[in-house]
Amino acid sequence: MLIVVLLKGVPARTTQALQIGGVLNREAMDLVLNPHDLKAIEAADFVKRRVGGKSVAITMGPEAKLIPLMKPLYDSEVLGIDEEYVLSDRRMAGSDTLATSYALSLGVKKVVEKHVNPMEEMVEAIKKSGYSEAVKAKAEELYRANMLPNRIFSELPSIHDSIVQRFLGGEITAEAAIEKIRAEMEKISRFIVVAGIKTTDGETGSVGPQVAEGVSELLGKVVPHSTYVEDFDVESSAVTSQRMIGYLSQKLEMKLPCVLTVSPEYRPREPLASAQPEVRYNSYRGKVLQAFKWTAVDLGADPKRLGLTGSPTIVGAGIDVGKPPVQKTVGSSLIFLSDYGPSEYEGKKYGPFSRGDLTVGLPDPLLSKLRSQGIVVVFGYDVLARELFA
Amino acid sequence: MTDEAVDVWVYLQHGKAGLTKDSLELLAAGRKVADKLGQRVVGIILGHKIEELAEKAVHHGADGVLLVDELAFETYFNLEYIDAVYSLVAARKPYVFLFSANEVGKDLAARIAYRVPTGLATDTVQLEVEDWSNPVLGQFKNLLIQVRPDFGTRLAKIYTPRHRPQMATVRPGSFLPLPEDLGRKGKVEKVEIKEGSYPAKVTEVVELPSPVPDLAGADVVISLGLGILRDRTGRPRDPREAYQYAEKLKAAVEDRYHLRAEIGATRALIYADVKALEGLISEENQVGQTGTTVRPRVYFAIGISGALQHRVGMQNSSKIVAINTDPQAPIFKIAHYPIVGDLYEELPKLVSAIGGDGRAN
Repeated sequence: MLIVVLLKGVPARTTQALQIGGVLNREAMDLVLNPHDLKAIEAADFVKRRVGGKSVAITMGPEAKLIPLMKPLYDSEVLGIDEEYVLSDRRMAGSDTLATSYALSLGVKKVVEKHVNPMEEMVEAIKKSGYSEAVKAKAEELYRANMLPNRIFSELPSIHDSIVQRFLGGEITAEAAIEKIRAEMEKISRFIVVAGIKTTDGETGSVGPQVAEGVSELLGKVVPHSTYVEDFDVESSAVTSQRMIGYLSQKLEMKLPCVLTVSPEYRPREPLASAQPEVRYNSYRGKVLQAFKWTAVDLGADPKRLGLTGSPTIVGAGIDVGKPPVQKTVGSSLIFLSDYGPSEYEGKKYGPFSRGDLTVGLPDPLLSKLRSQGIVVVFGYDVLARELFA
Repeated sequence: MTDEAVDVWVYLQHGKAGLTKDSLELLAAGRKVADKLGQRVVGIILGHKIEELAEKAVHHGADGVLLVDELAFETYFNLEYIDAVYSLVAARKPYVFLFSANEVGKDLAARIAYRVPTGLATDTVQLEVEDWSNPVLGQFKNLLIQVRPDFGTRLAKIYTPRHRPQMATVRPGSFLPLPEDLGRKGKVEKVEIKEGSYPAKVTEVVELPSPVPDLAGADVVISLGLGILRDRTGRPRDPREAYQYAEKLKAAVEDRYHLRAEIGATRALIYADVKALEGLISEENQVGQTGTTVRPRVYFAIGISGALQHRVGMQNSSKIVAINTDPQAPIFKIAHYPIVGDLYEELPKLVSAIGGDGRAN
């Protein structure tokens, strides 16, 4: 099974978040992996151990920053990803969630095609060359490039019955081999996409469902999604997910391909021992330690749907959240006990003021006068109670 | 092209107890925006046997309701709901479409926005209507200003100038529900939508009871911090005394104003392992980054200095009252009503003023 993990590099420190016109300048910041993505990697790892396959990460942003960030993820033997794709292009800079999801959806589609195509090449090789060294050479080349699962061809000592080996050994006919490879093509098209529930910078949580929609559009079929997944199991063609949405605990069953966003509450299940032979057949040779970079052109993207042009939302000016607009201190602030004014004092106009307003900007003599008249009072508990609950 | 779009839509969620609190808030948010635009608020409700919810929506601010009342919509199933809501948007073209920023609202809104396509401003805390211009894009009249937190340190305005509807999710707690007005009239329209077939299905749904205490759902949260362990001179005090005042405050708010109040606590107090507070407060009371995020109408911070991790969990409360001996405490930066003083002296006055029993036990 092809397992696609969506990852994001987020600013290491919020104080260092550099912005140009409301858009983060990721090239100038220290980035770390979005913490919620670790759950997505755990989930991907579970799928790999449960049904076998290859876990592929897709990330988007400046590759010079992202590639070092991803390095530890595939260096890890136990938990980790097998291949890494960075979507990096100036034309993608400034993308909002819609434009980001569009680019990521294209990335998912291209990753799937990249894994279907070598199988098609094997079919062509068998058709063209029959029982020959050319077929074996092709299979070896693709297998070593990590592009064929063990079931189609393998150099593992424990596997002698891959489709190509059986075909070359005369056990199955060319037609049978082609049919079996085509079945594998079907299987690899039933991929799963996993993502964190949100990122710590944008915090929208929108990209998971939007990639499901984007991939649906690109593939011309409905790709279901499940968000806030706390537990799931996966079989060859379906996922059963358990999720918490508000006060609803819901079990959602989805056919593959599908998209999951993984809750911080997620704990992976233990894979079944009985499934291990199947896992071995579905797995690939190993890891490719060099990230692949794809540009907008590589993805076949419509430039109008990328970057600032493809982003419906515009981030405007920031509003500083400091003190609340009005702060009334019990025991010291002066406020109007009733509506007052407008009134003139020594040629200047003041007010009108509403009940509860602070006496900001009033000259002291006027203030004393109003206090003696009982119009202005010190803010106390009685007024506080009224303002809180009236 | 974009000018044809009209009306402010709000997607209303409901449970066993009727329209949810978040939905009532959303109606208030929609009302505010619609009044500024001179447009209608239209509630969108999907479900089965939900006719009475439409009336309720009208009483809480809707001018109209589009009701999808079919057996197929009895339980929430995202793909089917998304198709249904999208078909309404495509056919009727609202100007603004708001969802609650909770799990269901986000589940729906993101995918609908992509399909339209339009922008989606998530977790907005304020909505305004303003004219806006940009040297490249030109001038726009009556644009929805979607204000959302940006990196926890500031708020940013988000605009969706060129696309309709302007879609946003609104953080629960950002608006106060409008009082029920039984005299309000609105147009309720039933829309028939055929059941679709999907490569997914919901096989089990359980509606869980609200957690106890239900901090997120409370109108008033009274939170205690480490400050309750000592008075202003540094002399140790029995924290149960402060807890009792909190209980009295809670009772007064509930009895007198018919609001739901809960007692919260800081992480520091909960993990300080105070023997005297055993059985009174636990992790379930925790407000803050790793606890519950609350946005009540009134938040009382009692003996809480206001570490950032606590503030992010309560800073969006409509009104914040803080009692602390230290005038420099960070909590006073965000408090609407600072009370500088010893909480053991101030609490009795506060409780009495709110109508409770302010005497010490």
